[in-house]
Amino acid sequence: MSTWARPSPIAWLVAPAALLFVLFFILPFGVMAAMSLFSGNPANNPNAFLTTRHYERFLFDTAGIYHDALWSTMRIGLITTIVALLIGYPLAHWMARMQSRLGHALVLMAVIAPMLTGIVVRTFAWMTILQDKGVINTLLIQWGLTDKPLPLMYNEFGTVVALVHIYVPFMVLTLTGVIGRIDERLEQAARSLGAGRLRAFVEVTLPLSLPGILAGSLLVFALSISAYVTPSLMGGTNVLTLPMLIAQQVGTSFNPNFAGALGVILLLVSLVIVVAYNRILARLSGEQGMA
Amino acid sequence: MISRHKISRRQALRASAGLAAIAAVGAPSILHAQTRTLKITTWGGKWGDVMKATVLPAFEKEFKCTVSADQAFPFVPKLQASPRNDPIYDVLHTNSNEQWSSLVEGLVMDKITAKEVPNVADVYPYAVSDKIVGVTIFTSAIGLGFRTDKGLAKPTSWKDLADPKLAGSRGGYIIPVNSLGQAHFMMLGKVYGKGLTDLDAAYKALETLKPIKLVDFTGQMEKMLLSGEVSMGVIHDSGVYRYDGQNQPVDFAGPSEGVLALEQVLNVTPGSKVKDLAFGYINYMLRPDVQKLLAEAVWYSPASKKVKLDAKYDARLLTTPAKVATLIQPDWKWYNARKEDIDARVTKILKG
Repeated sequence: MSTWARPSPIAWLVAPAALLFVLFFILPFGVMAAMSLFSGNPANNPNAFLTTRHYERFLFDTAGIYHDALWSTMRIGLITTIVALLIGYPLAHWMARMQSRLGHALVLMAVIAPMLTGIVVRTFAWMTILQDKGVINTLLIQWGLTDKPLPLMYNEFGTVVALVHIYVPFMVLTLTGVIGRIDERLEQAARSLGAGRLRAFVEVTLPLSLPGILAGSLLVFALSISAYVTPSLMGGTNVLTLPMLIAQQVGTSFNPNFAGALGVILLLVSLVIVVAYNRILARLSGEQGMA
Repeated sequence: MISRHKISRRQALRASAGLAAIAAVGAPSILHAQTRTLKITTWGGKWGDVMKATVLPAFEKEFKCTVSADQAFPFVPKLQASPRNDPIYDVLHTNSNEQWSSLVEGLVMDKITAKEVPNVADVYPYAVSDKIVGVTIFTSAIGLGFRTDKGLAKPTSWKDLADPKLAGSRGGYIIPVNSLGQAHFMMLGKVYGKGLTDLDAAYKALETLKPIKLVDFTGQMEKMLLSGEVSMGVIHDSGVYRYDGQNQPVDFAGPSEGVLALEQVLNVTPGSKVKDLAFGYINYMLRPDVQKLLAEAVWYSPASKKVKLDAKYDARLLTTPAKVATLIQPDWKWYNARKEDIDARVTKILKG
């Protein structure tokens, strides 16, 4: 007689999330990866055959734009993450150490408020600020500080500015939780033993907040490298990222197979960077396998 | 032996109410099973408003069907992903370049003739020329839009866009993703070289247009012109004329070398299960009354020769054989076959 072990209640609780993950990540990724190895869509094209030509096209880059696009994607992702961390960390630290509940609630609302507006709207708002006839350039010209508009948009600068604005809340919210759990008395103990404010921060608070830095950075990096709307609108033709190329391949070149290959490549390169980043931070904090 | 039951008044009322309820619940589904659905693609904006408010309800009433209209881009990849024998659309409405891509994939029919769609007999020749897959129902003219408050002379040639005075304030499109940009790119080959297919001349001319502000859809170009961000840019006539009467300092110019056709093309999917209805819809869209309604709503030039527009529209749109003769139709089959190479090259040219 066979006996069936009853699934634990935890398994039942996890099941919906697991199902969601399988249906909306594993399955689409599997289809995309499979499509990237075919010449066409095997579901409705009997002549579609297995091929590695889409990966070869990227690898040999005879067009001379794919490697640039990958590098540009990673560069924008890294710069956005670093700037978001530099802006987000002090803000998160301030919020976490704030004594006033009302003050904390107000700052939290200020951080979350931009997230209540859509990305497209926020990007268009940045366009009205940074374009040649925008708020900044108009004021600079009116005040006689410059003769012609500064190139604030249609470049990586404008793209990073808008991305940082959009993703800083993710960094702040992640870091606030982690810094808030660090016992303040540890910092006070360091100071009572003669450490200055800076040293106490660098040697006590910062290492203890590394898990938050890691989580926030990975979140912002992942969102930045997969961003499509903001680089498209803010970057013009001076910015070409892999998500933009993928959209072009699907939407106007009607080549989902090459788009699939680009998606797989973006994921693999991102994974390599994430693993490397995790290891570096783990080594810095003296721990292993932080994430 | 026959047993005889006496039915009370209450029982009779209950039975009647039950039957009525079944009929009420069941009738719509029975009706729905009999009503055919036509799946189409269509534009949004003012066009979509008119379609949903007037054109489609009248079609549904006349043809006793329902129309399911998709306004969410991109249409061709969705059609590409659906089964060939049960396509997601019965009628595909796109610009001409996408119809050619769809034909290569076997997603649409090659030609629509007067045999299937009687009103095709009344269209201008360009609407069913060898540059068209399906049938054109409207066209607009791609030319130059410009600000009238910047002291600029009305452009007469495509070369006027290269005027050094316009550096940084001229506008174009991200060529890989926009058909106006692609058409303009081919026109550069004609204006500066041997013809629409002279790629070397087009690449060289593109260099001279830098610095240029590039957008990926025409609505954005309209906004750039209206805000003064761009003083002169490539745009279709309806993108400028639609602001008629709104006191905007913008105008449209058709260059002497000719204007490019931006055709609105309808086509039927070979696997459609309601082909007769699909052809009926195209025929309906080519009817003079429908053509007039839509043409005057969005400033599109009607493809039907039988349409008589009000004077204001007639004066500006392509409504006579002479005006229609100024239209240049790019060879999209030729362009699509080289699109990947052109995309890569123009991306490198326009970057930085």
